[in-house]
This record gives sequence, structure tokens and C-alpha cells, in this order.
Amino acid sequence: MGVIRASPPCVVAAAPVECPGIMTDDVQTTTAHHPRHLAGDDVGIVRARDFTHPGPFTFKSGQVIQGFTLRYETYGALNATRDNAVLVCHALSGDHHCAGWHSESDAKPGWWNNLIGPGKAVDTRRFFVVCANVLGGCQGSTGPSSIDPATGRAYGTHFPFVTVRDMVNAQKLLLDNLGVAELHAVLGGSMGGMTAMLFAIEYPQFTRRQIIMASTANESAQAIAFNEVGRQAIMQDPAWNDGDYPRDGGPRVGLAIARMMAHITYLSDAGMDRKFGRRKRESAGGESYTFDAQFEVESYLRHQGQSFINRFDANSYLYITRAIDQFDPARAYGSLEQAFAPIRAESLVVGFTSDWLFPPEQNRAIALALLRSGKRASYAELATDLGHDSFLLESAELYALIRGFLERPETHAVDFAI
Amino acid sequence: MPSTSQSEPPRAHMTKPVEKRTVDMQVIGEWVEPQSRVLDLGCGRGELMAYLVQAKQVSATGVDLDFGRVSACVARGLSAYQGDMTAFMRAFPDQHFDRVICSRTVHELDDPAGVILEALRVASAVTVGFVNHGFWKNRLNVLFRGRKVRNVVYTTPWHESRPANPLTIADFEDFCREKAIRVARRAHLLGDWRTPCHLMPNLLAGYALYDLARA
Repeated sequence: MGVIRASPPCVVAAAPVECPGIMTDDVQTTTAHHPRHLAGDDVGIVRARDFTHPGPFTFKSGQVIQGFTLRYETYGALNATRDNAVLVCHALSGDHHCAGWHSESDAKPGWWNNLIGPGKAVDTRRFFVVCANVLGGCQGSTGPSSIDPATGRAYGTHFPFVTVRDMVNAQKLLLDNLGVAELHAVLGGSMGGMTAMLFAIEYPQFTRRQIIMASTANESAQAIAFNEVGRQAIMQDPAWNDGDYPRDGGPRVGLAIARMMAHITYLSDAGMDRKFGRRKRESAGGESYTFDAQFEVESYLRHQGQSFINRFDANSYLYITRAIDQFDPARAYGSLEQAFAPIRAESLVVGFTSDWLFPPEQNRAIALALLRSGKRASYAELATDLGHDSFLLESAELYALIRGFLERPETHAVDFAI
Repeated sequence: MPSTSQSEPPRAHMTKPVEKRTVDMQVIGEWVEPQSRVLDLGCGRGELMAYLVQAKQVSATGVDLDFGRVSACVARGLSAYQGDMTAFMRAFPDQHFDRVICSRTVHELDDPAGVILEALRVASAVTVGFVNHGFWKNRLNVLFRGRKVRNVVYTTPWHESRPANPLTIADFEDFCREKAIRVARRAHLLGDWRTPCHLMPNLLAGYALYDLARA
């Protein structure tokens, strides 16, 4: 059964929803102080649950753990034919809490609350929505900060190397346990898009539709470089101690710096200019000859770093960024076309003009490879200035696209697979 | 009424000549082989693709520049790609498609020859449909009014119109000859876009459809 951990309260969310400084007004649907969780199109108060797989689980690396736990949430109800499930996949720093509220006093709802709910683009009156924290994560699922039963201590860097495929395989076991016969759809942005893509590849008979947003079939050198700087910030912090640190300690400075830098890559030049410009903090006064935060963007990033260390485990950050860097189905299967060959799902790929981390071109490449493989695939591109995090955008156009794709009638086209 | 190119992007809106649109689709539908792989350049909201999927069970993919139109295709169950049509075709191997359709799009292209030749690389058949600006009513319109053609289809003055590169049947025939493109079939229709036109099509036909193949 699910337990909501005492520390910190689950205000965990993907990057932009988290801080009132920058994108909250773009992303949150309600801002008034009346009970927002009672809004008609909101899933309301939700509770996380834990699924425990009792048997051994073999990672792609060949390493084995004796069972694992995934923390997850569900909204809506599974239908009689057990085929109306929609799996939502989170990004690097996201988690299982993608819609609704954990308590009436929560400051924020789940990270994709604007998209998911009764009557929303992902309509919980129609679909059984499932979202799980990934294997290797730190929000309740088994990962490097979990206790290794063999030693009684946290796994740390003795945790098996995690790949996106391991995350997918673990979530498939969860869906089996929930009685899901077929996924109506799997969707996600960024790493969530990779997860969705691999679901369609690895479980073709199980996955009917996939939505890949702001994602890539393999990271560019630049994206790997940013992840590496983040990892180095953590690993060069003496408190990292080769991954062996107490639960309430660890490389907090390194993790905060990693987060600050990564956060810049989730935004865009124009977006930051619009939100912050060169505005200074009120306390900064006129000329200030110190290194205290003077500009609003500085205090915003510091806040991002500080709030991140209270909710995220540094080793999980290493593991998950590594999994993202390694993701390369073209290499794993010979070519992207060969990787996509078994897919039976209809696909929708969405790119965002200002996303320079996983730019439109890389999203186009996914759609084009799907089409070259003879699959049914669409590509749409939204003009935004919110950068990589645009997939969390509050946009009627985006909602209409996603709703249209999810709710369109099933097509039984001739299989033109080459 | 005379038929000229639309001021709006192709098939973006159902403007007045609804039945003309249907005739266009029917002619193309007759040429399309059942269950073939079709690429629709400038697919708009997917009316033609939906018709071909329903009538000919084709596997259709559309390309359009506009998010809203691609989104409309997606909602009706079609595959559509938002982006540049030439860049799209360059991502495909030779003869990947059975047929490329370029219906009422060709007059808005930056590089019409480049698009048609690239289409002939990725498909064995290319269907091009266009309004004939050599149609006699269009000639009279310009001759007597002394202004850019305006009529029931072409409603806007020049300063509210999109850039267009109008062509005539004679222009298109010249182009095919010069590029050694084989014309497998042609359909010239009178001003009603319905009745076949067998005589002096450059003067008497309002609409033309060509089925092209590499020589």
C-alpha cells in the first residue's frame, strides 16, 4: 500500500511547475485560494501507492536485484475490457504525481495537472491514467537510495546501471499487476518520450498509441555534455564520497549546481528574457559590489537548486542522466527503422520551436523514421518561447492535438511494414 | 464562374466551390490505385486523404506547414507531418511512395520544379492538379478590368493575397517537355470543373490534372 513519505511533502513536480518565479503562471490552471482540488475538471485528492515486484529483476546490464518497488498513482477507472489505460511517463526529475493534489494544503498539484483530469485533454472519465516513478528514481521507487537487503545499507553506486529499457520493463510489470490488457496510449515528454518510444518498441502488441513530446531518439553531444557537467558537479563534491553518503546528507552543493545548470537548458534565451530580463531583486538596490544574488534570474536559479536538493537524490541523478545519455535505439537495433519495425502503435511526435535541448529537428527525425518504417505517424510543432519545458505548456492548441489523437477512432489500416 | 487559384492555402477552408472540390477529388480518386501508399503535399485538413482512405483504402501521409491543419488531420485519424515538403521528401528513399499528390498547391511553391522532380524520385507517379490561369474568363477578367483576377474563388485584392505563381496548361506542358517528364494521363475540365474539355484546353479548360511519371 502506498505511503506518502513524511519528508518532503510531495510537491515534487517537473521543473517549471515547481517554482513560483518563472513558469507557474503559464502552467497552473488555477491560482485562486479557494479549494482548487475541488475544481470540476480536476482529479481532486489523490494518493500514491506502491507496487512491489517480489521476484528477481534482471537489468539490461545483466545485474539482478531481488525485487523492486514502484510508487505510482492512477486516476479514472479501468474498463471491463481493460484496454483504456494511458501510461504517463515522467522526465528526468519528475515523478508519479502527475495530476491532482495530495492534500488540501498542497501548494501545487501534480506536474501535468493542466493536461490530465475529467474533461481535460487526457480525460480521466474515459481513460485509466497510470503514472509511476521510474526504476532508479528516488520518489518512492527502488533506486540507489533504497536499502540493499544484502547489506542493510543504501545501494549507492552498487545499484545496477539503469537503462530506459529497464524502466519500461519494470513499468510493464506494474501494468500487468494492475490488470491492464492493452495500453490505449503511452505518452511523455523529454525522457518520458524515450520511455514511451521504448514501450512501443518492446511491447508492440500491448501499445496502441504513443505520444512523444520534446524528445529525441538519441541525445546530441551537447545534451550529453550538459549531463556530464551535472554529474561532475555531484561527483566532485567531496560529500558525494563515491556515492556512499547518509540519507540526509550527500553532495548537496554539487546537486544544486547540477540542477541550476540543467534548469537553464530547460528554458530558452527569449523565455528567460521575458521572465527575468535584467531585473534586479528589490533588496539589491543600485550598484552592489558583492557576489550575493542581485539579478532575479540568479535568485531564481538558487531557489531551483535549493528546492531540488530537498527532494532529489544525487545518485539517482547520476543514474537517470546516464540512462538518458545511453538511450540510442538506432544503435541498439542497427538503425532507427529497424528499431521501429515491430511497432504497431500509431504515433504522434510533438516538437517545440524554442527547445534547444531536444530541438524540433530531433523530434522530426523520430517521426520521419517511423514513416520510413511504414508506420502511422504524425509530427506537429508548436511555436513557443518556453524552451524544452514547453511540453508542459498550457496551450489550447496542444490540448486539442493530444485530445484529437487520443480520442480519434481506432483505425485498422493495412500493415505496410517493410 | 471562372475558376482560378484560391487566395487561401489549399483546402484550408471550404470556400464556395464545394462541388468543384469534390470533382477534383473524384478525378484523383480514379487515378489512385487501391491500397497504395500516397503522399499528399499541402494536405490541408486532410479532406482528400480522408476520401482516398475511405474510397481506396490507401495508406496516406500528408505534409502541411500549418499546426492547426496538421492537428485537424491527426484528429480525423490521418498521418500528417508539419514541415517543408521538399525537406520531407528528401528524408525518404527512392520510390518509397506509390503516388505523390500535389493538388492546388503547385502555384504557391518557392521551387515548383524542384518539388515535382523530388516527388518523381520518391514515387513512381505524381499527380498535379491546378487551376488554369489561361482559361478565357481569366484572360477577359484581366483584359477588361485591368486588375489582378478576382472572382468567386479568388476573392481578395492583391494586397490581401498570399504570394502566388499562377500557371497555365501551356506553361505546364512546356515544363514537362523541358524536364523530360512523361505525362501518363491528363484531365482538362471546363469552367464547371466537371465536363471534360477536348478542344483548346489552354483557353477553354478551367482546371487541369496531370498524372506524371519519369520518362
